[in-house]
Amino acid sequence: MTPRLSATRDIPIGEHTGLVAEIAAHFGSDGYLTAVQSTKDEIPTIWVEKHRLHEILRYVKSELTRPFPMLFDLSATDERLRRHHDGLPIGSFTVFYHLFSFDRNQSLRIKVALDSEALSLPSSIDLWPNADWYEREIFDMFGVRFDGHPFLRRLLMPSWWEGYPLRKDHPSRATEVGQFQMPPEKLVMAQDALQFKPEDWGLARAHHDQDSDFDYMFINLGPAHTGTHGVLRLVAQLAGEEIIHIVPDIGFHHRSQEKIAERQTWHSFIPYTDRVDYLQGVLNEMPYCLSVERLAGITVPPRAQVIRVMMSEFYRIASHLVWYGTFAGDIGALSPVFYMFNDRERILSITEAICGGRMHPNWLRIGGVARDLPIGWDTLVRQFIDWFPSRLDDYERLVMDNPILKQRTVGIGVLSLDDAIAWGATGPMLRACGLPWDLRKVRPYSGYEQFDFDVPVASNGDCYDRALVHILELRQSLRIIRQCLDSMPSGPYTSLDALATPPLKTHTMHDIETLINHFVGVSWGPVLPPGEAEVPTESSKGQTSYYLTSDGSQLSYRTRIRTPSFAHIQMVPLMARGELLSDLLAVLGSVDYVLSDVDR
Amino acid sequence: MTEWRNGRLEGVRITDGGDGSLTSAVGDSVLFAKLQDLLAWGRKNSLWPLNFGLSCCFVEMATSLTSVYDVSRFGAEVVRGSPRQADVLVVSGTVFLKVAPVIKQLYEQMLEPRWVISMGSCSNSGGMFDAYSVVQGVDKFIPVDVYMPGCPPPPHAFMECLLLLQNMVGSERRPLSWHFGPQEVQRPIMPSLRDAKRAERMSQREYPGIDVLPRTDLLSPHFAGQPDGRPKGKS
Repeated sequence: MTPRLSATRDIPIGEHTGLVAEIAAHFGSDGYLTAVQSTKDEIPTIWVEKHRLHEILRYVKSELTRPFPMLFDLSATDERLRRHHDGLPIGSFTVFYHLFSFDRNQSLRIKVALDSEALSLPSSIDLWPNADWYEREIFDMFGVRFDGHPFLRRLLMPSWWEGYPLRKDHPSRATEVGQFQMPPEKLVMAQDALQFKPEDWGLARAHHDQDSDFDYMFINLGPAHTGTHGVLRLVAQLAGEEIIHIVPDIGFHHRSQEKIAERQTWHSFIPYTDRVDYLQGVLNEMPYCLSVERLAGITVPPRAQVIRVMMSEFYRIASHLVWYGTFAGDIGALSPVFYMFNDRERILSITEAICGGRMHPNWLRIGGVARDLPIGWDTLVRQFIDWFPSRLDDYERLVMDNPILKQRTVGIGVLSLDDAIAWGATGPMLRACGLPWDLRKVRPYSGYEQFDFDVPVASNGDCYDRALVHILELRQSLRIIRQCLDSMPSGPYTSLDALATPPLKTHTMHDIETLINHFVGVSWGPVLPPGEAEVPTESSKGQTSYYLTSDGSQLSYRTRIRTPSFAHIQMVPLMARGELLSDLLAVLGSVDYVLSDVDR
Repeated sequence: MTEWRNGRLEGVRITDGGDGSLTSAVGDSVLFAKLQDLLAWGRKNSLWPLNFGLSCCFVEMATSLTSVYDVSRFGAEVVRGSPRQADVLVVSGTVFLKVAPVIKQLYEQMLEPRWVISMGSCSNSGGMFDAYSVVQGVDKFIPVDVYMPGCPPPPHAFMECLLLLQNMVGSERRPLSWHFGPQEVQRPIMPSLRDAKRAERMSQREYPGIDVLPRTDLLSPHFAGQPDGRPKGKS
């Protein structure tokens, strides 16, 4: 068997004493801190007492020097079947807060253990407004209550649903719970449950003051609407044509990916990641595989890294092109989408030649990629990168220079940088507000540090600037692809590590150990050591990350999928408030979201 | 003898000007057909889909509308926003528990005659998403006319299924009036494609290798150069 190339070292607790000591210095030694956990992903992870949680969150958010202003992710784990405790104060459920500091370029994970008898926590909606949906999701999926949350009700599952799906005792498969039936009374009940009642959301039906006295109008968009790009539902409260408030209703696209991850092997979950954001193929597989490799301690060989980067950038362009065309379509320009889908088709013909799939390539493997590049790939790639820049020039004249488009987007849906950070915006949304924060640059992964590219940034945070950032990114992606083409390293396309799945086929035919590894890895699945890892990456729409918890088996114990679209759709009411109803579609178009990425 | 077959008027002689007589002029410009056949031909060639997308498959369906595939060649590019104007419901994607009542309502809002294409594995059977929030096939609550395999099916698969549906719609016979004639809808029994394609598939001996690259020049005549790995031994 081949020796392990190099294992990612376990981070000793001492290395994090900087941040932990700062927190400890403030709170003293009165037992707020129950443990400091060592994780494989170098993110400082502390376990705190439930009754001090809110105080600690408030401190790290605003009082700490170089604070953590962004709530990156918030979710929970059902720990009742956990075997490896590693001396941690694990209770029945764990709620974890993933915070991020731009000043430190560092993440911080704060965990709270909960008992089955007292499944409640204070809401942190007063600290981070985006905690709203995250807490509702936890309530929906785990049944943990958040005291002080104004609208604690189901988010993804329908309101008539019984049970908490991500609990370990909830069935995973539809075939476990009997055949689906829809008798007329169930249809009526389900449609009644979709009725929108403004009072439920604290909205008034009429406006009264000494100057004016009128009724608000409520308009329902979706879930079957041409402007929402999928099954998203928005209810707008209008005064005339002005948007007063919007209540998004999501969950129409909930595919229970996180539950499925708990029954697939590490290897066989890769095809599912393709479908988390179905426009960006490899860009979904990247954070998942990086996290698994971090857990397993696998080093990816250079050729595989560059192939990954090249395909990622191709899919970024493909995803941006769909966004570009539909954005222009939302504003009313119907022809650009035909040009952009034409070029997308060229990219898909390249990805089909290389990966074998169009939208869902299933191309990355644990430790590398599925197979080597085909003979003649460079000609295909070169054709495209020579072809595309002049098309981009055309598109800019066609779309971005269009005076109607400018009138409809400049100054519309403005988002301030502070709001963007407070609401968890990432990717082009954040960069359009003026912060050049790109994980490929600031926390490079998969060899991005070796590439020469710029981070496009705009300043106004309106719809036009969000579009501008997307478009400038297309050219940067082309630059990266050209560098991949010019300097593709030679060597193996997958790691020789024992846990890399599947091992190289050529070795299996000569070496019984590798053959056994191949058989076990493919049929039963590789067993990863217990631990936790999360590697956020820059996907086409923002930061995507898979927070994996291994309990030392061939299955994931918990897979938390943090997606950018979820955070961004939550911000739509903020951006659309005060605009006209017709601007809502411009705002939605500029956000660049995919419903499967919102609901997972 | 002229007759309508597969949406085409067969047996008609197209003459250029004819002999100038009234008989030949009328023969070249007037068609005789049964009204039922004419209506079926009209329905067949103007199947308007409902603009309703669920997930990944919808992107491929939308791709078939764009210029590379151009589904308007088959008269199906008139995507309608309202179910009352649409003929075909393409269930393009995963059918979720929360959206199933919405699909049912949309289907019931469509006027007869109406047809359903189930696009992709999720819609056929739940596909890879055997999960608590996913209905295992849209046929659990609405009837399906054409099932399309694939995850997602490429645009040309969508167009093949559209043609299959067209063949079915073109050979359906529906009553012309409430007052006379048979009132039932005469539906043809469509052959199973698995059986129809079996012989050809079983006799296939040559498969393209992984190093056979696509003909990117087919996308447009302006696309420079030719790839190295052209299919070998094929015209």
